[in-house]
Amino acid sequence: MSEAKTNETVHLTIDGREVDAPKGAMILDVARGMGIDVPSLCAHPGLEPFGACRLCVVEIQKPGWDDWYKQLVTSCLYPVEEGLKVWTDSDEVRQNRSVVLDLQMARVPESDYIRELGRQYGVEKTSYAERDTKDTCIMCTICVRACEAIGRSAIATLSRGPDKYVDVPNKDACIGCLVCASLCPTDAIPFTANDNGKRRIWDKEFDLVTDERTGEVLGTPEYLAHVQKRAEGNGLVWPETLKQESAKVKRYEYARKLSRVADVEDRLADEAK
Amino acid sequence: MSKRLYVTPYRCIDCKVCEQACSLANTPVPGVPARPRVQSFKVDDQNNFVLLCLQCDEPSCQAVCPVGALERNPETGAIEVNDKCIGCGFCVRACPFGCMDYDDTHNEYIKCDVCKGDPACAKYCPTGALVWSDKPWTDQEAEEYAKKKSSDPFTIALEMTKK
Ligand code: SF4
Ligand code: SF4
Ligand code: SF4
Ligand code: FES
Repeated sequence: MSEAKTNETVHLTIDGREVDAPKGAMILDVARGMGIDVPSLCAHPGLEPFGACRLCVVEIQKPGWDDWYKQLVTSCLYPVEEGLKVWTDSDEVRQNRSVVLDLQMARVPESDYIRELGRQYGVEKTSYAERDTKDTCIMCTICVRACEAIGRSAIATLSRGPDKYVDVPNKDACIGCLVCASLCPTDAIPFTANDNGKRRIWDKEFDLVTDERTGEVLGTPEYLAHVQKRAEGNGLVWPETLKQESAKVKRYEYARKLSRVADVEDRLADEAK
Repeated sequence: MSKRLYVTPYRCIDCKVCEQACSLANTPVPGVPARPRVQSFKVDDQNNFVLLCLQCDEPSCQAVCPVGALERNPETGAIEVNDKCIGCGFCVRACPFGCMDYDDTHNEYIKCDVCKGDPACAKYCPTGALVWSDKPWTDQEAEEYAKKKSSDPFTIALEMTKK
């Protein structure tokens, strides 16, 4: 998320391929930009990196190090350096990822997503004791960071150690946007988007506002109020911006305003008043 | 940024060729057309309209985006959605012209990015309502062009698939 705004670049080697990357960029982003598939659970390009899942580990070697010596680092949090050598799929890397997934499979035995990832790294069944739970949260905290980004910070990590979990301690803060649930890699946040005009998430029920003319759902009243405040706070000059209309209706209204005949009609209507 | 997408709504005959071309050009999965970033429609009995993102100087969509997912491409001048998007939909609410949209088939927030400098809509628009050029066309130029082009959507669709 926080790319350096300078034009300075560094030269490094990833999986034997040389690349120039902007100073300050993370190894993960640079590798993916080269089309290299590095797995991750807690990284999202729009959110601050957090380094929670350790699935993105890679091996690095700095210039000057002995040839046999390498280090494992979390690539989502490790900025590129001049002369760095990186291996994204070595035996050591794969071995580490399989341990990460082995542990996750014990944490969330019900998650198909984690089980499939585990399989890709040779873990058919976890070697640890499975938790007895239907919960599939892997504590990647993507939901926490996303909610913070949209300006609500409703979600918190509670408790400590292996019992850590995420929840919304203050229900008023949640605006029912569903961003958290839609970004969750393991679908651990249950919700109902629209059940007879009601939305439910985090044990809270919301009304839904629909576009009068198209019937399209625009969001919860809390959500619309939040966007409106944000738009006003940013000094948006167009009052139409704040209209609670679907994109389709906004397009139509704009066209109507610019189309000459409609203008005449409006003028006639005005004069008739 | 020498070329621009010039839009002249009164030339639009509502043939929907631009929508087709846009869908095809922006389809992430072959065979599953994307929602078009451009729309042609009838305003009333006498007026058609064609509308796509105006690439505002001060874009409302960009102003409300909490993660910097909307950025201007200096080469085309167009505002593009990048992979930082977290899907909050603030931009859809904020655009005054309805030009930010959500494609529920592909679960993507979409807008016109002038096809990264090669807009499909303008390539196939048969009347010069949409023109990718370094200057706008005069009505005469548009008429000359329209005479040479078929405006039959079926013929154009064939042309599109031939490439
Ligand atoms: S649904 Fe509620 S908790 Fe989830 S991101 Fe939106 S405001 Fe935050
Ligand atoms: S999407 Fe809307 S607000 Fe954003 S640049 Fe286009 S017209 Fe302007
Ligand atoms: S939906 Fe995506 S592009 Fe639109 S405001 Fe939210 S994060 Fe930004
Ligand atoms: S993606 Fe790097 S630690 Fe999770």
